[in-house]
Amino acid sequence: MTEIIQVVIFGLLLGGVYALFASGLTLAFGVMRIVNLAHAVFIVTAAYGAFFAWDELGIDPIVSILFLMPLFFILGVGVYLMFFIRIEGSPRYVEMTVLLTFGIAIMIEGILGWRFTGIFRQAKPGYLTDAFFWGDYLIPTGQAYAAGLSLVLLAGLWLFLRYTRTGYGIRATMQNRAAAQLVGVNVRRVSAISFGISAAFAGASGAFMSYLFPFFPFRHWQWIALLLALVVLGGMGSLKGAVVGALLLGVASSLVVDQIGPGWGPMAFYAALFGILLIRPQGLFGKELAV
Amino acid sequence: MALLEIRDVNAGYGKGPDILKGLSLEVEAGKSYCIIGPNGAGKSTLLKVISGLLPPRSGEVVFRDVPFNGARPDQVLAAGICFVPQDQAVFPEMSVKENLTIGAYLERDRSVIKERMERVFELFPILAERASQDGGTMSGGQQQMLALGRALMIDPAVMMLDEPSLGLAPQIADQIFATIRQMEALGITIVMVEQNAVRGLELADWGVVLDLGIVRFEGPADTILDDPRIRELYLGKAVGSGGTE
Repeated sequence: MTEIIQVVIFGLLLGGVYALFASGLTLAFGVMRIVNLAHAVFIVTAAYGAFFAWDELGIDPIVSILFLMPLFFILGVGVYLMFFIRIEGSPRYVEMTVLLTFGIAIMIEGILGWRFTGIFRQAKPGYLTDAFFWGDYLIPTGQAYAAGLSLVLLAGLWLFLRYTRTGYGIRATMQNRAAAQLVGVNVRRVSAISFGISAAFAGASGAFMSYLFPFFPFRHWQWIALLLALVVLGGMGSLKGAVVGALLLGVASSLVVDQIGPGWGPMAFYAALFGILLIRPQGLFGKELAV
Repeated sequence: MALLEIRDVNAGYGKGPDILKGLSLEVEAGKSYCIIGPNGAGKSTLLKVISGLLPPRSGEVVFRDVPFNGARPDQVLAAGICFVPQDQAVFPEMSVKENLTIGAYLERDRSVIKERMERVFELFPILAERASQDGGTMSGGQQQMLALGRALMIDPAVMMLDEPSLGLAPQIADQIFATIRQMEALGITIVMVEQNAVRGLELADWGVVLDLGIVRFEGPADTILDDPRIRELYLGKAVGSGGTE
């Protein structure tokens, strides 16, 4: 029993970080109907930022969140204004966002490969190999920081969406775009801000990726597959769904790794996804699919 | 001087043909207007153009002598024109109170928002009762009341209603019409499209008949109700048998 709980704890720590990684993706889809295939490459780019800040300037990866988030917010708003405004009125908008973000992802990947080569990187702050005991259970310090701060950031996002005027505007746009316009929400401005927030969360995610998950430019494809799975599982566009889905799948894959073997982790992940979608095609917290 | 003027507007969707074909209309302050006409006449399209949801291809909408050239919906609303569309007007996952709060999105003064919400609760006691219920879980009639209440939160000069009684049980529709009358009494200029033309015209001061994208006829609502040609062409035979639907 103790051993199972230990594995569940590992799973939750992993899931908390996944939730942060997926939150920006689900926000972009929920508010702007953008299927952002470039989200993971944003995270990898931020991871390079955190890595070099640590490697060359000695800045702790967690501290680098302080500049990565604002920087990526600005980048996100810029990307939105540059690429998405012009396809806004297209009848094939969602399909176009897939192609467009696919292109952006390949482009950024190319630039990263050219500047930073394809070798694996990993920041190694002191707490990376530390661990402490919580009762009988072993908690890796670096993972605990990452999961804890992820949940703090997600709670912050939730409070922002719930209690600020802009947050109201974002939620209104998610729920009913036309009605949001009619109550005076400037949906274009709200969309640009939301994409900025989505990218800022990619920035924070990158800081954690830099020390938790060794990365190289091409790695983002593996991540986007996993993150899309989480977002689909939670119900496209549902923030709550992405968080619950991430925690569930984090635990599920830890259990499988422990019981069967490390090679089966990703497999369990997608098997769980298929299983859940067979029962609930709209995802855990998604609405019935609109035609 | 007209409060709102539509001048020679052409409009349509995507690459499709013009739905509005050089339509002109003047709306005076404090009056209520009912727009009738067959399907495809351009009634909803006209409201969408005025609200800023659909930019006109040519022509202009002038409000208080200021032309709206491609103004966004939020700018039109800020100017004082609000629009309650036909369906799906509420935010399904927000509570009644949140729906009303966001109705006053453009108003930053919290005490004003609170005052207006109390006024809406007086008009619609049911909304006060269900303040914490999610909008999406209410009945069709209650959602329509919520949509009207939310529109009042902005304290509009002009309220445009697209088929306010569509799909509602007769008693509920009565309630909606009674509320529209109260809004008239508050001095709000009403422009509504109503599929129940007789009910709409009984309520309104002025009737406007649209057909094929232009104003075919307009005049005092009672004159239109009594005009035998219009009755035959646009109000249907049911009128002669008592005008129930």
